[in-house]
Amino acid sequence: MSENNTSEKRFLPIIGLFLLFPFLRMFGGDLATGSPFTALDSAFLIPLIPIVIFPVIAILGQWYAGEDWWRDNFKEGGMIALCTMAISLSLTIWLAVEFFTGGASFHHPMEWSLFNWITFDTIGQDVNGDWVHLQVSDSLNVGLWIDNVSMMLLFVASFLCFLICWFSIGYMNTDPVNKDRNHRFYAEFVLFTAGMLGMVLADSFLWLFIFWEIMGLCSYLLIGFYYERPSAAYAAKKAFLTTRVGDVFLLIGLLMMYDIYGTLAFDKLLVDPSTDLLGNPVNAGTLKVALGMLFVGAVGKSAQFPLHVWLPDAMEGPTPVSALIHAATMVNAGLYLVARFVPFFDVTSHGHGVEGLEDLAILIAWIGGITAFMAALIAFVQTDIKKVLAYSTMSQLAYIFTGLGVALWFYNHGEHHAAVIAFGASMFHLFNHAMAKGMLFMSSGSVIHEMHHAHHHVHHDEEGHDDFDPQDMRNMGGLASKMPITATAMAIGSASIIGLPLIGGFWSKEGIVAETWNAAALHGGTWLLFPAFLILLTAGMTGFYMTRMWMMTFAGKPKSEYVGHVHEQTPWIPTPLVTLSVISLLGGFVLAILGAINWLGDAETLGTLVHEHGIVVAILETISHAFLPTDFFLFLVTWVTIAISLVVGPAMAMRIHGGDLKEGERGPQLISWIPPLSAKFGRADVSDLAESGLADALHRRLYFDELYEWAIAKTIIPLSHAFAWFDRRVIDGAVKGIEWGSQKISGDVRKITTGRASDYILMAVIGTFSILVLLWGVI
Amino acid sequence: MMFGNPLTLLTLGPIVAGFAFMLLAWATPPSKRAEVSQYIRILIFAFALLLFALSTLMFLESYSGISWTQIGLNNYVYDNCANADVAIEAGGCSLVNGFGVSWHVGVDGLSFPMVWLTTLLIPVSMLVEWDAKKGPQFHSLILMMEGALIGVFVSLDLFVFYTFWELTLIPMFFLILLWGGDDRKYAAQKFFIYTFTASVLMLLGILVMYYYTHVPVWEGNMTGRAFDVTLMASSSSTLGTSFLGGFGMQKAVFLLLLVGFAAKMPSVPVHTWLPDAHVQAPTAGSMLLAGVMLKMGAYGFIRLAVGLLPAALVHFQVLIVILGMVSLVYGAIVCLGQTNLKRMVAYSSVSHMGLVFLGIATMQPLGIAGAIFMMLAHGIISPHLFAVCGAFKHHYHTLEIGSMRGIAKHSPWLSGHMMTAWMGSLGLPLMAGFVAEVAIMIAFWMAFGWWVILPALTLIITAAYYLWSMQRTIFEGGEDGELPESLHGEDPVDITWHENAGMFVLAALAVILGIMPFIFFDMISAFSGEFVTEVILDALNGVKP
Repeated sequence: MSENNTSEKRFLPIIGLFLLFPFLRMFGGDLATGSPFTALDSAFLIPLIPIVIFPVIAILGQWYAGEDWWRDNFKEGGMIALCTMAISLSLTIWLAVEFFTGGASFHHPMEWSLFNWITFDTIGQDVNGDWVHLQVSDSLNVGLWIDNVSMMLLFVASFLCFLICWFSIGYMNTDPVNKDRNHRFYAEFVLFTAGMLGMVLADSFLWLFIFWEIMGLCSYLLIGFYYERPSAAYAAKKAFLTTRVGDVFLLIGLLMMYDIYGTLAFDKLLVDPSTDLLGNPVNAGTLKVALGMLFVGAVGKSAQFPLHVWLPDAMEGPTPVSALIHAATMVNAGLYLVARFVPFFDVTSHGHGVEGLEDLAILIAWIGGITAFMAALIAFVQTDIKKVLAYSTMSQLAYIFTGLGVALWFYNHGEHHAAVIAFGASMFHLFNHAMAKGMLFMSSGSVIHEMHHAHHHVHHDEEGHDDFDPQDMRNMGGLASKMPITATAMAIGSASIIGLPLIGGFWSKEGIVAETWNAAALHGGTWLLFPAFLILLTAGMTGFYMTRMWMMTFAGKPKSEYVGHVHEQTPWIPTPLVTLSVISLLGGFVLAILGAINWLGDAETLGTLVHEHGIVVAILETISHAFLPTDFFLFLVTWVTIAISLVVGPAMAMRIHGGDLKEGERGPQLISWIPPLSAKFGRADVSDLAESGLADALHRRLYFDELYEWAIAKTIIPLSHAFAWFDRRVIDGAVKGIEWGSQKISGDVRKITTGRASDYILMAVIGTFSILVLLWGVI
Repeated sequence: MMFGNPLTLLTLGPIVAGFAFMLLAWATPPSKRAEVSQYIRILIFAFALLLFALSTLMFLESYSGISWTQIGLNNYVYDNCANADVAIEAGGCSLVNGFGVSWHVGVDGLSFPMVWLTTLLIPVSMLVEWDAKKGPQFHSLILMMEGALIGVFVSLDLFVFYTFWELTLIPMFFLILLWGGDDRKYAAQKFFIYTFTASVLMLLGILVMYYYTHVPVWEGNMTGRAFDVTLMASSSSTLGTSFLGGFGMQKAVFLLLLVGFAAKMPSVPVHTWLPDAHVQAPTAGSMLLAGVMLKMGAYGFIRLAVGLLPAALVHFQVLIVILGMVSLVYGAIVCLGQTNLKRMVAYSSVSHMGLVFLGIATMQPLGIAGAIFMMLAHGIISPHLFAVCGAFKHHYHTLEIGSMRGIAKHSPWLSGHMMTAWMGSLGLPLMAGFVAEVAIMIAFWMAFGWWVILPALTLIITAAYYLWSMQRTIFEGGEDGELPESLHGEDPVDITWHENAGMFVLAALAVILGIMPFIFFDMISAFSGEFVTEVILDALNGVKP
């Protein structure tokens, strides 16, 4: 496929040109209105342009598939998609600049309204029980709402969409399997982007839901990209239906919210949720149920227990899809929705929340804790590299759910400071996890891609399909020397997920664990002890399964003949990996120094500490805050977490899966010390454990899938057949009985039906004509 | 005055033109038939486009000139007999002297979307089935159908309304009988007799109302009664519970009308004609049947049963909810058990029309607006569904879900349309059906609370049967060149350009109305707001003990 590999350099100027789109927009505003458009005026273009581009790529691709210029110059639509991503990204950056310079924040979000979607009247009963026309002209509107959380997520989404689109051009277009159908991939990719960016920008729960569903659709389409494989078609359907279950509850939640407040717009719900539009106080019990319904939707979308079954199967999609949708962006939608709960819970002096919602907060934390633990457990036995990452995603998202649950619990308890830290840490973990997991999936894609090519290379002219699975880690091993960039990226990403001190995820994960224990042990949240234990345990387990994955893939001796033929040479792939490696390595630290946790929690501006005390003090302050908390209990929690996630988990993984590379080979500079180190831990034999009942249960995903399938096969399927039978035999049977009687009578009448078309038509015409004459003749 | 009205033109124009084209095609000598029929088809299509342009112009004018929010209840736009109380009572617009039958047409937020939809679907369905056998006859029947359908929606005189109502059966009967599938005779007869029987009951209800609608006896009208809806409506609102001589009679008439309209919509348990008719009907016939004819039932129900007898609606609210709920849930579950693609889509219509009943039963302006918008949205999406089914039948000669595999590989355009239509029908946001569903659900929650769980769970079943059918037809397999047996070794082909063009129009409209529903929702909402506050509110307060 190397003739197809036009390198990325040729396209750089074009992409750069599209990054300048905001300037065009500004000048356009000058021409059109006499004053330049602001970033806020242009923000609606961020989702709109991808929506418009979606049919363009789909239709052009369908027309021109197979033509050389389409394949080489447009990368089968990939270049159009990438330029679209560039526009969205540049507009986002422009918006971010305006956001920070304009001093917008939680308390002063940027708002912009577009149009009234639908307007209507409402009737209701007055105090006497009489029905009256309520004198409000209600409407459901469309607009934008940008505060700290949406700004962060908007950046994450548009940035990762851009990078992963870049990666896709290398990954998808060089694979002969995808030849002449990549346009479908890029069209759906672009539509997905519109959904994600639109959801983040939405200014009401309704539009959040609308774009939420669009993402669900794209997830469905992209999982089923290789629709000819029954497993992919099945996985796509499963993903859509499972999330649909959550979505239906989300919809019910929206209906309840509308009934409670009389609106779904954020400018009411997120500003003063203690009263409805008419000023009446809100009932905490009803609100709790409504928020609980919304939470079920979040559980479905973010693949949490018990609606988690779709995510591992979703790995049937192409790897860029897993990276984008099922790791970095869409699965965060549920978290974003739960993050929107804060104003409802905030009963501190800063907010107008409703008291008595702790139960729901505890439920959220429990779901998070259970999922984190369960997913990590299942990840222990996975041999498919993408499945490990899928379960890891589930587990890390569950961390964030726990953190959000704790934050909401603090808010509802009136503990503002702790709540801000827990919330900020959760959102910060979302950022770190998205960056790291997006990169990890792309790295795994790089590995799979090269393994696949190596396999092709070895059997190049043979048509026969053997059972070789390029995703199976049992075929890899010792790849560190063959794929230096990928191995380094994967090591950094894993370190960020594990929470290696000073790297990415460390800053946020510590915050979540510490605040959960803080709530459970020091603030009387006894119910939170359970999730607190679980996520502490999961920290160690994360260390284990991430290390295990890296070791099985990159360390040790090659486990199949194909490893020797692996080369890291596909263009377009390394650039995003390097970019994200740098961000994962340094981004967490830099943002921590700038006070990202505080900013994401509540603060007005970013970088207050640096501003006030200078950079050195800020660094020292941040580090001492993380490693040497003043409270002894939190100090203990911090160091226990570090110890088990960094030492216990990885050491055990190295004992089982570690090993040095082949003689004479070395890994890349930065991580060359890891394989030799891993060999020094000795070998542990776990074959007994691997054959135990527990391992079997884990391999079968703790029986959830089987349970659900059994339940469906026993209820709705037989019911549908019974109903279909009933409809045909009983209801229609009765009709046929009547017909049979009347047909005897009409036997004579039927003699005039000659069966010739012209006769029938003539009769019809005569009939029509006589009716017309009847009508007209008497005027 | 009568013929200057664009609505009269939209109604009678296509009937006359269709008749003329039919005669022309019939009179062409067989030797020239092939050549002439080409021109006739183009002429018919151009005529249909012209009518569409006319109704679109009316729509645009309505946006610039006529404020739908201010016309008030019982007033109509493009009314040829405005101030009917005075004009008709004085014998204006009279059609059949002596019986109170008048040529009275007009549109409001309830009927205009349906009129526009009809003028749109006619050329689209012609386009989709451009190369039907005996094309000129086929297309002129469709053109005649257009006139009859529009006549149902615009006529404000129940005699004329009923005439057009039955007139729609004739072209459809022949479309099924002459261009249908293998079992077409049975299906056509069943369709005709079934709906005809139901509408006779409706006629009975109409006659009772006629009997009670008094106008002064003047020279031309010796009965002292009138069929005019506007007169009936004002009589109903002034007399209240004593309209039709008492509440008992109101209930009886309501039930008669309900049977007639429910069979047309159709609602369980009088729905079984629909699957048979659809499976046998030609594609264009199915499109019009699902797109417009089913809406006649819902339209009539709102205009006559609810509009004239609101107290009876309040009385029978639970019955309507049950009918709607059973249609919705039962229809969806039956869909899951179907093996024929077109039959499944037909049952999905039953399911969606159940939502219309639910929306009306909420008696909230939003619910009724949602129901009307559902009629419009379903009128765009379900023809798309049937066009896709027709394309399967046409190009793969089968509709059995189990006999197809991996069609997407051979027919990417067809599969794209299938996905769009299927997704639109299962209520995907940013498509028109979702707007209606959300509106109905919000109103339903306001009216009935937790019962909303049933329609909500049905959304999952809907998604399940649509996705399952896609998985088993266009996805999965097809890798090793396996093809449906019904092809008998022919090469699989994709849809033709004219099918594609027709379907594209429908897909684009579904998306446009999904993103910007206010285009039609504003006028619908203005109507439903007036309707509820003027008509239903009194009834709600009136029957309260």
